[in-house]
Amino acid sequence: MRALFGGLTLRRLVIALLVAGIVAAAQADDPSFAVMATLSNVSGEDIYNRICQGCHMAHGEGAIGAGRYPKLADDSTLASWRYAALTVLQGRNNMPAFSAPPQLEWDSPTLHLSDAQVADVVNYVRSHFGNNYKERVTADDVAKLPHPAVGAAP
Amino acid sequence: MQNGAGCGSLSRRQLLRMIGVTAGNAAMYQAMSSLGFAEDSPYRGPIDLQGAPRNTSVLILGAGLAGMTAAYELRNAGYRVQVLEFNARPGGRNWSLRGGDTYTELGGLTQHCQFDQDLYINPGPWRIPYHHRGILNYCKRLGVPLEAFVQINYNAYLHSSRAFGGKPQRYREIKADYQGQVAELLAKTTRQQALDASVSREDQEKLLASLRDWGALDKTYAYVPGDASSDRRGYKKAPGGGMSARPIPSEPIGLSDLLDSKLWQGIYSGDTFDLQTPLFQPVGGMGRIGDALGRELGPLIRYHARVTDIHQDARGISVQYEDMLSPGSQLTASSDWCLCTIPLSILAQIPMNVGPAMAAAIAAVPYASAVKVGLQFKRRFWEEDDDIYGGITYTDLPITNIGYPSSGYHSAGKGVLLGAYIYGVDAMEFTAMAPPERVQKAVDYGSQIHPQYREEFDNGVAVAWHRSPFAMGCYGMWNSDTRARHYDDLCQIDQRIALAGEHASYLPGWQEGAITSALDAIERLHRRIVAQAGKA
Repeated sequence: MRALFGGLTLRRLVIALLVAGIVAAAQADDPSFAVMATLSNVSGEDIYNRICQGCHMAHGEGAIGAGRYPKLADDSTLASWRYAALTVLQGRNNMPAFSAPPQLEWDSPTLHLSDAQVADVVNYVRSHFGNNYKERVTADDVAKLPHPAVGAAP
Repeated sequence: MQNGAGCGSLSRRQLLRMIGVTAGNAAMYQAMSSLGFAEDSPYRGPIDLQGAPRNTSVLILGAGLAGMTAAYELRNAGYRVQVLEFNARPGGRNWSLRGGDTYTELGGLTQHCQFDQDLYINPGPWRIPYHHRGILNYCKRLGVPLEAFVQINYNAYLHSSRAFGGKPQRYREIKADYQGQVAELLAKTTRQQALDASVSREDQEKLLASLRDWGALDKTYAYVPGDASSDRRGYKKAPGGGMSARPIPSEPIGLSDLLDSKLWQGIYSGDTFDLQTPLFQPVGGMGRIGDALGRELGPLIRYHARVTDIHQDARGISVQYEDMLSPGSQLTASSDWCLCTIPLSILAQIPMNVGPAMAAAIAAVPYASAVKVGLQFKRRFWEEDDDIYGGITYTDLPITNIGYPSSGYHSAGKGVLLGAYIYGVDAMEFTAMAPPERVQKAVDYGSQIHPQYREEFDNGVAVAWHRSPFAMGCYGMWNSDTRARHYDDLCQIDQRIALAGEHASYLPGWQEGAITSALDAIERLHRRIVAQAGKA
């Protein structure tokens, strides 16, 4: 898993390698794959469809097995954009943080979304799947929320 | 593990490899240790639980390797044991998908595995290092036969879509040439007296001799076409017998091309502690281990049981569960003690009255994304056409690697490859696709390495671990921060409840982590039980 499956990257190295151009351009030839090195070009809708959908499903319906993935469709908890944005930023239970600082990175890299992208994906979810929240969240709004930090109080 | 050159996302292993390359082995070991990676298995032989008080019951949640190992040992020690399992089969992530099997993932999409008889993939763990003594010992005790798992195959490929015109290179050639070119360079440097300040003259002589050996250099310390280099990288025309016997040496790849290709990233894929040869696999699929434990425990396991509530008080344990065959049913299982091996991805959602420390630990571990795709082909072209018997091809494409079967060599008929083993962000994207699309992608990408795919592809299955109803993720991802803050709280017994599983180990994702955590937990539980009985 690493063998099956196997913690933790040194984000600085990742960044160095990204800068060094080690990131695959192979995926660039395949429009069905987001190129994560240039993720700044990826919209909230794309992020939802390519990442969030894996668990929350195509129409935000969620799923139930031994546990469950929360449904996002017609979801009254989304009335709080802060709750939604904090969940994306910090993760929740088995959902990884999508804004982890370098030192908190795991071995199996997750996306590191910018505040603008967090705002974008939150806006997308809050205006789709039967949700109709009017206010638009901005990158500045997201920036004011607590981001995951090393050694922060639990 | 995103091995190979130019990957979009880097695995820890890949990073470690690079740390090893750039900073030396001491730095690498330090990094590995801090990541919980270089730990040896703590398994010290069969567990000895003597003096179990009569009529003491332990309820075990989950019939994966952790739960079943614990049930097996506690039963043998005289405890009354019951196991609740969500699936209809034992094993959990220890699992082989075979022809005729059906798998429905979260979201409701069902796949019917159409592999031929005896063909399978292991969607979860697929290899066992020789030093994972715990799981090896259970295989021995349970009579699960093992065979060699080929990790390094010198004739498998290293592939970069951006180097050598996208043509895959043999592992053998890249390894020999990288080693040869580095040896030549270091020999040249040595002979230019550039090392005089740091290496004595005497040691320089020894170093030069070793470089000639190690790098397959000629008498002038050059890495050039000839017997020495071809004996490592292979020949243009290999030696044989008879009139056409004479070998023709091959042409090494230059240092600059090697460095540019980044294929050197794949050289170390069998050098890390947990992937050093020999590795093993159960004959007939990894799932044979879970099957054997399930047979051993028989009626002690209740299947189709979906745990909905875990409660403890001064007198004992009470667990509510739903019988999935009677949706909506609510049943109760009671016991004196509880060992819970439910993955944290699921346990975090189940009401359970443990203290705040354990509860915080349970909620602190996100789960890694991983996807495996099994592909059946009409013939074993990798053997017939490419001389690849077992082993792994690494690529920078999102499929990451192609795993060739380490068994059934030369069988007539169809064959099954592991067509993709994907981690990280690519795995998230694959998870978001429907299974047929995952399979199609694996075929499309793989055909860049093996053009035979187009002609020979038959059918496939794709397992995305975050869509697994029973695991909801591949394995618990710890980092040094969460380890420091929560690991001990997770492993500590909370009144009557102990946790076990790979998530309660320093071997994330490995079966050995599940087994050693279970043995450690039941040993502590047993000591507590015996101590309390003594007081009563």
